[in-house]
Amino acid sequence: MSTSIWEVPGSLAAKFWQEGRADIPIYDMHGHMGTHNGIYMKRSDPESMAEHLRRIGVKHLVFSHHHVVFGAMRNAEVVEICRNYPDLYRMYVGIVPCYPENIREDLADFDKWAPYAVGLKCLADYYKVPLTDPAWEYALKFADERALPVLFHTWGGSKYNGGEIMMKLVQKYPRIKFFVGHSLYGEWETAEKIVRESNGNVWLELTAIPGEYGRIEKLVSAVGSDRLLYGTDLPWFDEYQATGGILSAEISEDDMRNILYRNAERILGKDW
Amino acid sequence: MKEIFFFDADCQIGSGPAIGVKPGVRELLADMDRFGIDRSLVRHGNCALLGAEAANRELAEMLEAAPTDRLVGVWCILPDQCPELPQGDAFFAAMKRANIRALTLMPKEHLFVPCRLAVGRIMDAARERKIPVLLKTEGNDWLNVYDFLREFPRNRVVIYERWGKWGRDRQLRPLLENYENAVFSFGGYQVPEGLRDLAELYGAERLIYGSGYPLYNQGCGMLQLKQSGLPDDAVAEIAGKNLEKMLAEVQL
Repeated sequence: MSTSIWEVPGSLAAKFWQEGRADIPIYDMHGHMGTHNGIYMKRSDPESMAEHLRRIGVKHLVFSHHHVVFGAMRNAEVVEICRNYPDLYRMYVGIVPCYPENIREDLADFDKWAPYAVGLKCLADYYKVPLTDPAWEYALKFADERALPVLFHTWGGSKYNGGEIMMKLVQKYPRIKFFVGHSLYGEWETAEKIVRESNGNVWLELTAIPGEYGRIEKLVSAVGSDRLLYGTDLPWFDEYQATGGILSAEISEDDMRNILYRNAERILGKDW
Repeated sequence: MKEIFFFDADCQIGSGPAIGVKPGVRELLADMDRFGIDRSLVRHGNCALLGAEAANRELAEMLEAAPTDRLVGVWCILPDQCPELPQGDAFFAAMKRANIRALTLMPKEHLFVPCRLAVGRIMDAARERKIPVLLKTEGNDWLNVYDFLREFPRNRVVIYERWGKWGRDRQLRPLLENYENAVFSFGGYQVPEGLRDLAELYGAERLIYGSGYPLYNQGCGMLQLKQSGLPDDAVAEIAGKNLEKMLAEVQL
């Protein structure tokens, strides 16, 4: 056998293999927290997640709490969780379109929640309310006026947050920083088109993709590694599996660094 | 240095009209070199559409042409009331000649009921000969796995997932708890530190490394296991020793 990727001296892959971390920060731009209806998640509480994140060297996890986006928990409670882990956790304010009063109240507090609240999270598939529905408009206008990041759950073919809907949104809101969650999984050509036709304000987020044979390579080739963001859905997916998927891709170390941390720093800075 | 012996339990090679052009022997070996995989257990990637008889034959031809002993094959079985495959001892002799050391079955795709009535004779023979049987789950389709293990609790069964991104502990753990001969090949199982939890609950001998190649590359699961938080000896067992031992005990 020839030398494996894990044995190349000084490489990121060798460092993660030998030491479990490298001398880089990782920004996980797609996380959650809390129990889930369909999956046993042993490590869904703040402390267990923090242990896992710190082991691999994640500097910040930006998350929306399951119980906010799937239940009645309020975003203000999530701010308190972040305050207990000020060096680690940042949050997306979960936007639930069936609670319009909550949206207005929470966004009125958005500035008070700095530095923890960095953007919004929209999960249209789960509510079966298309992102073009007026129910989302107040929040999206708010984000557009402030050029905030919004992490959208997207999936190819969805009539709530699929390619056609996302294209309309990108055209309508030129200042929102679009984090296209799961990169419009399966609708790869549309994802590429949205990035290419955007105002430079669209990034494809990689949750559920790392490790898939050749997929990262194709995305890097299609849109460039400077348009990709690392994410795991933690506590859904293992940080080492996902990072392993990036390190295993046949892309350059510059590409890997862009995905794991440089792009997040270009968007949000080094100190946030 | 990589230092750990890896034996991938979950690989497919071969192309077909429904799956497109997929890696063959040469591409798999190149990927194994790239990641430091020592050996792989391979199935035919187009078995679902091509059928067991033709896929078994093609896989044997691919392995025969391969310039290596790093690949070991898996054949697919059918109900032996329909004599499409060699019967009885002749089947196992053919396995030996073709370097096949494990079996699988695809009842959903090949349209039969995976029960004792249909595959009892060959499953009993597989048990006596200590031949592992790879058993696929897909998404929420675990009922067939439960039924199969209830029918064949003494066989060595390797459970693997075809599309397992959602954590499947609620489906998997009852099987590992109740069927001591069942092991789990974890390609696609991405639960944070879940490998450590499973090994601590059921023993490292109940887990084997499998990538899901070529749906997944072989590297991501390697790092997931290496950094699972398990002791080095448990990592080594899961990475390759468990499967190597299992196949060494096969009697053909």
